[in-house]
Amino acid sequence: MTVRDAVRNISWYLKEVAGESDYDRWVAHRREHHPGDPVMSRRDYECRRMDDRDSNPRARCC
Amino acid sequence: MEGATARKGMSARSIAIWIAVGLVGAFAWGVIALARGEQISAAWLIIAALGTYAIAYRFYARFIVTKVLRADDTRATPAERLDNATDFQPTDRRVLFGHHFAAIAGAGPLVGPVLAAQFGYLPGTIWIVVGAVLAGCVQDMVTLFFSMRRDGKSLGQMARDEIGPVGGVAALLAVFSIMIILLAVLALVVVQALADSPWGTFSIAMTIPIAFLMGFYLRVLRPGRVLETTAIGVTLLILAIVLGGYVDGNPTLAEYFTLSPNALVLAIVIYGFSASVLPVWMLLAPRDYLSTFMKIGTILLLAVGILITLPVMQNPAISKFATWEGGPVFAGSFYPFVFITIACGALSGFHALIASGTTPKMIEKESQVRTIGYGAMMMESFVAVMAMIAASIIDPGLYFAMNIPGSVLGGTVQTASEAVNGFGFQISPQELQSAADSVGEETLVARTGGAPTLAFGISQIFSGFLGGSALQAFWYHFAIMFEALFILTTVDAGTRVARFMLQDTLGNVWKPLGRTSWKPGAWGISAVVVAAWGYFLWVGVNDPLGGVNQLFPVFGISNQLLAAVALTVAVTILIKTGRTKYAWVPGIPLAFDVVNTLSASWQKIFSDNPKQGFFAQSNAFQGLVDKGTVKAPAKSIEDMQQIVTNSFVDGVLVVIFATLIILVLGDAMRVWVRALRGDEGIAVAESEYVESKIVAPSGLIATSEEKAAMANGGHGDRELVGTGGRDGEDDGSERRG
Repeated sequence: MTVRDAVRNISWYLKEVAGESDYDRWVAHRREHHPGDPVMSRRDYECRRMDDRDSNPRARCC
Repeated sequence: MEGATARKGMSARSIAIWIAVGLVGAFAWGVIALARGEQISAAWLIIAALGTYAIAYRFYARFIVTKVLRADDTRATPAERLDNATDFQPTDRRVLFGHHFAAIAGAGPLVGPVLAAQFGYLPGTIWIVVGAVLAGCVQDMVTLFFSMRRDGKSLGQMARDEIGPVGGVAALLAVFSIMIILLAVLALVVVQALADSPWGTFSIAMTIPIAFLMGFYLRVLRPGRVLETTAIGVTLLILAIVLGGYVDGNPTLAEYFTLSPNALVLAIVIYGFSASVLPVWMLLAPRDYLSTFMKIGTILLLAVGILITLPVMQNPAISKFATWEGGPVFAGSFYPFVFITIACGALSGFHALIASGTTPKMIEKESQVRTIGYGAMMMESFVAVMAMIAASIIDPGLYFAMNIPGSVLGGTVQTASEAVNGFGFQISPQELQSAADSVGEETLVARTGGAPTLAFGISQIFSGFLGGSALQAFWYHFAIMFEALFILTTVDAGTRVARFMLQDTLGNVWKPLGRTSWKPGAWGISAVVVAAWGYFLWVGVNDPLGGVNQLFPVFGISNQLLAAVALTVAVTILIKTGRTKYAWVPGIPLAFDVVNTLSASWQKIFSDNPKQGFFAQSNAFQGLVDKGTVKAPAKSIEDMQQIVTNSFVDGVLVVIFATLIILVLGDAMRVWVRALRGDEGIAVAESEYVESKIVAPSGLIATSEEKAAMANGGHGDRELVGTGGRDGEDDGSERRG
């Protein structure tokens, strides 16, 4: 594995773990299962996802 | 995977490798166990732990997955069947491992081992490593698996479905009460670490404006750019620690940030309440990102640091406090309290809540529970081993001077030095003072709670390879900050979770209370939750006998109670599905856990020794109050009355926990008997079989067969997640469970 591959892998991993790639995945899912439906902008999507956490808090362990 | 299970037997090469791994691990344990009177390198603990994990993961975890759970990779997981690209979605196993580990890893594995180090490092280390592979990892993995088979149902729901209403209600009560005690004890750890420490208080206080800034950035300026937001946050955080040093050096500013324990209690209570009612994007979510990255980063750095500096253990392997009397750090005899104090890191019931939360909704392949459930807990156990090392490489005299309650040590380095000498350890007042000076603190006497001790150990390790003694004060406060940061994240997330739990329950009594968006309800219930843990926090901070000393055993008992619930559910499911011959897999840890927890409860409830039994303690002090006598460590008759009340309340709590364990277990046994008799009415609440269409590796590293299968399936390993071709209902933003 070259250094460039390593950097690419790490950046892929961090983006996945942080949830940065979720929007693209959601758009793909939307296009496939609801073709023709309007797709939320990234801003709306992220706001809505965050507000969802308001009522679905995730526990953190001790 | 077909490929993985199709390979029958092991090649000669892999047999040789695994025999070598076993021998190296066994040799390391031998070195640790046989070293008498001489100090050994911490490296032996690391090797022994890693060797044990490797063997257990390769053989025992695999046996459980294939034989006991009968994971079936042709069966679609809920992530695949119900994929809505929101909460249900197939997630790369390595990514999910990261999520799951970040959610289970907290302050527990760092604090427990530090306190248990009073018995010497050996008993705790054995329990951390062996307990993890036979109990903790098993609990996490089977809970994750059974929840996954039930579309991600929570532990409480599974207890209700599989055991019955009594078990269900008892489980719910257990979850709520452990939450309250957990939050109080963790907040207590923070208070003990920050009290009268302007450096620490300043840097932790700064995390609040930093979080607001991050929240604003993520919401308004760059939605969804979590990584760059976190990078900004971490940079500001490091800056805040550096600035803390200046605040500490400036008398006017320092005074401003020197808070008494009671002032800190108030601050944390207000903080917890605000975090519970404010929208999560403002405070909770950004702090969560910050603490997660800090946590993982520091843990990795610590592992590297231990491997580079290879410190020598100063603590004896088995100390003279490993007796029925116990030691001065927390109240409880060696058995069973070594198993109670170290909960997280060996067996933590709280993990069952995470393993039955978001993780089961995201698994791609059933057999991946081994990597995610078993593997993440192994890593947590390893964190606990490192905490034990960090607490054991510092001078035992200093360790006891930091961890014995202040009421015993007295307020000055002279009195502390005398008290420690009285316990049979040596540390001079000068040494105590210079230790405090080296990390930029006024004093280290009676900094109980584990966090300061761990921070001191970490600062020694880090400064050993990064910056030398000049940076020791920085590393100490870096470590304090890292612990306080994620403890407070647990406190705010926990307060919110407890609030929703209570609202959910009370909503059955009075409808409006169940509506989480109804402001008066949200505020009122938040206040109730905060008041509940705030009470125990306040009591802990002001307890003349020392809050950590008194409350930590209660916290351990409650956590182990939750583990008993999770393991009981697992045994019940195995018996109900005709796998009684494998019921010992969760059954042995369950029996061990119940025996330990009940004997700990027995001691706390019925012991005549006022040092151990809560009611004996309460009565003894009441008797003295009646005579008007004041007995140390109390200083006044009010102190005496406080001890009477606190001990009584703690005793009642332990009675409740013990009753709950017996209730859950008794109710489950009724179901076991019915199932074993072949009762027709026994139902298992498992989701139906749907064939899986996705191809994904089973272990952390894909085998060559798996890579080939994925290439055939048209998926590169990378693009696996989110590629199309799967059925599943889309319900947009609707959330389940």
